[in-house]
Amino acid sequence: MSTENGGPGESDPSESFTQGTEDDEPRISFYGGRGMSAFPIAFFILWAVAQTALWRISDTGGLVVGILLGLIFGMFFVRGSWKTYANTIFEGMTQPVAVTAIVAWIWAGMFAELLQDGGFVDGLVWLADVGGIGATLFPAATFVLAALFTTGIGTGYGSAIAFVTLFFPAGLLLGANPILLFGAILSGSIFGDNLAPVSDTTIVSAVTQDADIGGVVASRFKYVIIAAIIAFGGYLVAGQFMGGLEIGGDAQELLVAQSEPIGLIHLVSMGVVIGAAVAGRHIVEAISWGIVVAAVSGLTLGLLSLGDIVMFNAPEDAPLAEPLEFLPILTIVEDPDAVNVDGSLINGAAGFFELAILVLLIIAAAQIMIRGGAFQAILDWSIENLATNVRNAELTMVGSAALINAVITINTAAEVAIGPYISKIGERFNLNGYRRANILDAQTAALGYIFPWSGGVLAGFTAMQDLPGEYDWLTADMLATPIEVVPFVFQGWLLVAVFVVAAITGFGREYVIDRESEEVARL
Amino acid sequence: MSFLQKYLKGWRFRETSPSLEVGDVVDVFVAESNGATEGHVYIGDTHLIVEGAGPETVEKQVRVRVTEFDGTTSTGRGEFLEVVGESSYTS
Repeated sequence: MSTENGGPGESDPSESFTQGTEDDEPRISFYGGRGMSAFPIAFFILWAVAQTALWRISDTGGLVVGILLGLIFGMFFVRGSWKTYANTIFEGMTQPVAVTAIVAWIWAGMFAELLQDGGFVDGLVWLADVGGIGATLFPAATFVLAALFTTGIGTGYGSAIAFVTLFFPAGLLLGANPILLFGAILSGSIFGDNLAPVSDTTIVSAVTQDADIGGVVASRFKYVIIAAIIAFGGYLVAGQFMGGLEIGGDAQELLVAQSEPIGLIHLVSMGVVIGAAVAGRHIVEAISWGIVVAAVSGLTLGLLSLGDIVMFNAPEDAPLAEPLEFLPILTIVEDPDAVNVDGSLINGAAGFFELAILVLLIIAAAQIMIRGGAFQAILDWSIENLATNVRNAELTMVGSAALINAVITINTAAEVAIGPYISKIGERFNLNGYRRANILDAQTAALGYIFPWSGGVLAGFTAMQDLPGEYDWLTADMLATPIEVVPFVFQGWLLVAVFVVAAITGFGREYVIDRESEEVARL
Repeated sequence: MSFLQKYLKGWRFRETSPSLEVGDVVDVFVAESNGATEGHVYIGDTHLIVEGAGPETVEKQVRVRVTEFDGTTSTGRGEFLEVVGESSYTS
């Protein structure tokens, strides 16, 4: 448990950032009552729904503006001095939850990019090819391989794009059903997004519930694997009944072109990270080992060059560029716009920069809601009306996490916003950090890949739009649409169902007296 | 706990009202406090009234020694020993 938040009575080095209060009264008073302290978050949620669900713009930068405006407009409702409101924003942003998640993301991003650039997916394509899988088995096999891939790289969006680009056309040629194929790809993405220690949602679920990432991964395996076994059976059965298109091309030719067995070496990199994290090593240490193994194996086996990992693109007039151009990590570029530092490491880390800012601001807005009293009001109402006993409390946690993830496209943002609520409801009934994190992340991962406006569906569907331009035989009417795929994302529906059943029956439930989650080691 | 044990832990149906024994010392979160010196702890639907856990311990993790426990009603009493941790979110 985190004790370094600074409890009541402790002297704080900075009086501006007081952490903790014994006051029963809200610290910030709002015109319109304590409910108005929810304004920044409510404004952000409405903005996020409009931007991502109604207008289909999956742009994290846009969400940053949404939360910024929410925080600015919220200030106008504050009674008295605005200083406390402003200080509370800083108080929220300096919570260990945000910093821990951001650091873990940046490490995970570098690792994921190394695996992607190092041909991991090509190794999996080779597996599919040598397996000689036919049309009816192809969706089930795609599910397994996408699940494996996402468990390695952590990002379900990246996996949806990679598999739509490579496996989807091959499956169509084999005669597999396009809707089922897309559903299987999304299901695989859910599996890994939920289970991978390097997944952004796994990290958020652990740090918001004060649990170690390795322990969270090990403890959620039971839910994920039950859903996955049933989903796998579902794709096997549906593959028999749902026919594909008669295209008559050579699927094997397509697979062989992208096949690189040596890419499977990254199963080792992936195993190193999972093994180290579950063995209790600090997540930064675990991922660092993964980065070292992925980079060294990629370099020695010719999957990557040093320049692929990091490349300095210098201008011609740079003083020491020309004499050092022989270095494998230095290129002289003529185009001034091409001057930059490039490569897997920077691209992987940079992928999380916008999300990092967004999360800091969401946590700041959540802190305003906590300090202003709206959070307590919602909590009191939930305890009075919904979470009346432990079973109902868990069902409330499942339902609230599912609802917010169903309406906000970018599931990591939704997860951060609902994290404090899940924590408080769970702590009231002394559910341990693992159970709370698992309830939270299962809904986050599942609902992020089911509906037509979900980020994972949009990522995969956008990649699909490019396929007709790439293959002469592939036309737009062969593609699966986001609406059609909804019922066929088996892993998503089953994961939610597993947790509803687990809440009702007590399957996997753990109290703090059974086992305490280890703290995510702080930096 | 070994690597494998971490994966195998929790494969069971846990009851809504776990039992406690008199003399058990448990670290639990205090849900609410009605008076100046009594706190209420819920472990699932098991209800423990903790003497000495006043309002300042609400939403904190405290160490409690169980002094009475009735397994049929899943209720009991405990004695507050010390604060051992904070909530994930300090309010």
